Amino acid sequence: MSAAPAIQLDHVAVRYRVPHEKVATLKEYAIRLLRGQLRYHSFFALDNVSLDVRQGEVFGVIGPNGAGKSTLLKVVARVLRPTAGRVRVSGRIAPLLELGAGFDNELTGRENIYLNAAIMGFTRIQIDAFFPRIVDFSGLHDFIDGPLRTYSSGMVARLGFAVATVERPDILIVDEILGVGDAAFQAKSYDRIKQFKQEGATILLVTHNLQHIPEMCTRAMWLDHGKVMGVGNPAEIVAQYREHTIQQEEARRVQRSGEPAPISLGANLIRIQHVRLTDAAGAPTTTFATGDTLRVEMDYLTEGQVDSPVFGLAIHRADGVHVTGPNSKFGGEVFPTLEGTGTVTYTIPALPLLEGSYQFSVAAINFEDTVIYDYHDQAYPFRVINRGESVREKFGLLAFGGAWELRQSGMDSHE
Amino acid sequence: MMTNYDSDAIGPPAIHELRELVRYRDLLRILVSNSIKTRYKRSSLGVVWTLLNPLLNTLVLTIAFSQIFRFEVENYAVYILSGLVFWNFFAQTTTLAMNQLIWGSNLLRRIYVPRSIFSVAVVGNGLANFFLALIPLGVVMLLLGQPFTVALIFIPLAAVLMTMFILGVTLLVSTLAVFFVDVVDIYSVVLSAVFYLTPVIYPISIVPEPVRTFMAWNPLYIMLELIRGPVYLGVFPGVAQVAAAAVISVGTLVLGWLVFTSRQEEFAYRL
Repeated sequence: MSAAPAIQLDHVAVRYRVPHEKVATLKEYAIRLLRGQLRYHSFFALDNVSLDVRQGEVFGVIGPNGAGKSTLLKVVARVLRPTAGRVRVSGRIAPLLELGAGFDNELTGRENIYLNAAIMGFTRIQIDAFFPRIVDFSGLHDFIDGPLRTYSSGMVARLGFAVATVERPDILIVDEILGVGDAAFQAKSYDRIKQFKQEGATILLVTHNLQHIPEMCTRAMWLDHGKVMGVGNPAEIVAQYREHTIQQEEARRVQRSGEPAPISLGANLIRIQHVRLTDAAGAPTTTFATGDTLRVEMDYLTEGQVDSPVFGLAIHRADGVHVTGPNSKFGGEVFPTLEGTGTVTYTIPALPLLEGSYQFSVAAINFEDTVIYDYHDQAYPFRVINRGESVREKFGLLAFGGAWELRQSGMDSHE
Repeated sequence: MMTNYDSDAIGPPAIHELRELVRYRDLLRILVSNSIKTRYKRSSLGVVWTLLNPLLNTLVLTIAFSQIFRFEVENYAVYILSGLVFWNFFAQTTTLAMNQLIWGSNLLRRIYVPRSIFSVAVVGNGLANFFLALIPLGVVMLLLGQPFTVALIFIPLAAVLMTMFILGVTLLVSTLAVFFVDVVDIYSVVLSAVFYLTPVIYPISIVPEPVRTFMAWNPLYIMLELIRGPVYLGVFPGVAQVAAAAVISVGTLVLGWLVFTSRQEEFAYRL
C-alpha cells in the first residue's frame, strides 16, 4: 500500500448535544436559561475514529443502523465539521448519496442540471461544456425542456446520476449500491462506476449488503456506536460482524424467552452464502415497482446433516418500520433434512409495497426456534418505485389493490 | 471545484466563507435567477401583476390615510410608494431568507455548499425586485406630476447601502431562526410593530417632538430617507445622513457576517 493518502481521519469525533427536554423555541430557551434549567446530554455519532484510505482503494464501511456510517460519510464530504480531530481529503469528491440534491420541480430538466451541478461546485463554463454529455447519458433528450414535475421518479434519478458522474471524481462516496432506473440504465451506471475504479478513483462505500464487501472492496471497516470495531481484510471483517450480530440476536432471544442457552451450539450448521433478489424473469435486480413479482433466493451450505431447518425473512422499511416476517414454517412448509448446498426461494407474486426504500433480513433457524444457524440483519436493500400510469394507490406503506364503486340513489328533487 | 480539504486548515470562518462564496458565485447567480423565474412563472399575470400590485396597494393606502386620518402631505402616493419600495425590500427579504435557510438547511445537512449562499441569494433577489418596483414608482410620479430631479442618480448608491444593511439583518435573523423554530413567528410580530414605528406611511411631522428626535435614530428611518429624499423631495441626502447610513449598513453587515459565520458549522448539527 504505497499509494498516496486520499482520505485521512485522525481521532475524529462528532458529538451531538441533545437537550434533555426539547427546547426548540426561543421563548422556552430564555425561560430555562433564566431558571438555570438547561441541561444537555451528548452522544458521540463518531468516537475517536482514525482512518487512512489510499488512492485507488475501494473501502467498505459496514455496521448496524445508527452505527455512524452516514455521519462518517458526511464528515468526509465536509457536510459536518468534526467536533474533534482532523479530516483530510485530497482530490475532488463526488457524493453519490444525494442524487439530484436541490432539484426543483418547477424548473425544467435543463435548469435543474445547471442548479444541481452548481451545487456540486461546478462553474457555469464547466457545465456548459459537459451539458450535452449529461443529456446523452440520462437519455432524456425529449424531456429536457419540460418541468421536472412531469418526470417519473426513475427519470429524476437518471438525471441525478448523470450529473453526479459526468466528470470522473478523485473520490466517489457511495451510500448503498441501489439500481437507478430500468435494467439498461442500471447496467450503464455500474459500468460507469467500474470505469472510474479502473481509472484509479478512490471509492468509499457504505452498504448493508455484506455480499458486496468482499466482492468489491480492497479493505473494510466495521463501525458500531460510532467506534471502530475492526479494519482490514473485507472477508474477515464481514465474518466478524456476522458472528457478532448472530450472538447479539441470540442474547436477545435468551432474554426474551428466559431460557438459558445451550443454543449457540448449532450456530454454524447452515450458512446462507448468497442472497439474490430477482424479478419475474429471474434476473437479479434491486429495483421493483408496486405489483411486480419479487423473488428472494437464498443459497445455503450445510455442515453435515441438518434436520428440518426453517428459513425466514424480515422486511423493514428504511426508517425501521417492520413490514412483515414470513418464514417457511409459518408458510406451512416442513423442509426435509438438508445436506450440502441448495437454494431456498421465497416468491412474492405481486409486491404490495408502495414507493420507498426497504431492506430484507434473512435467517436460518431450527424447527423449534431455539437455534439460529445464520442471520443477516437488514442486509439486503431494495427500492420500490412507481411505474407510470399503473400506480393505483399512493402515500403510505401498502397498496391494498382495492376497488372503488359509486352507487347514486337519485336526485333529491323539490319539484 | 474542491480539490483538497483539511478540517484543521480552514482559518477564520468569516474569511473562509467569503472565499467559498466567491468560488460558488455561479451557484449564487443560478439561485437568484431561478427565484426570479419561478416567481413570475407561478403568477398567471406574471410581471404585469407584480407591477400592478404596488399601485393598487398605494391607491388603498392613499385613500385610507389621506381621507380618513387627514394628514396633509402633498403627492401622498409618491410619499408612501417611495417608503414602501424600501420597506418591502427589507421586510420581504428578511422574512423570505429565514424560510429559505430552513429550506436550505435541509440541503446543507446532506451536501456541502457555502452556508451563507441562501441568505445572499435571497438578498440578491430582493435587490432585483427593488429595481423592478421603481417602475410603478416612476409611473405614479409621472401621473401626479412629481418632478424628476438629478438627485435620482443617488438611487444606485442608496441601493448599495440598503443591500448591505438588509444582508446584515438577514444573516442575524437567519442564524436565530436555525436555532429556534419560533423566531419566524416572533419576527413577523416584531416586523409589523416596527412598520408602524417607522414613518413609512405617515409623515414624521405628525409625531410629537420628544418622540420625533428619538425616532430619527431608527436605522430603518435613516435607510428609508436615502430613497425618499431623492424621489419625494428631489434633493440629495446630506453628507451627515449618508455617513450615518454608511456606518449603520457596514456595521450591521459586519456584525451579521461575523455572527453567521461563527455559528454556521453548527447548522448541520441541528436536526
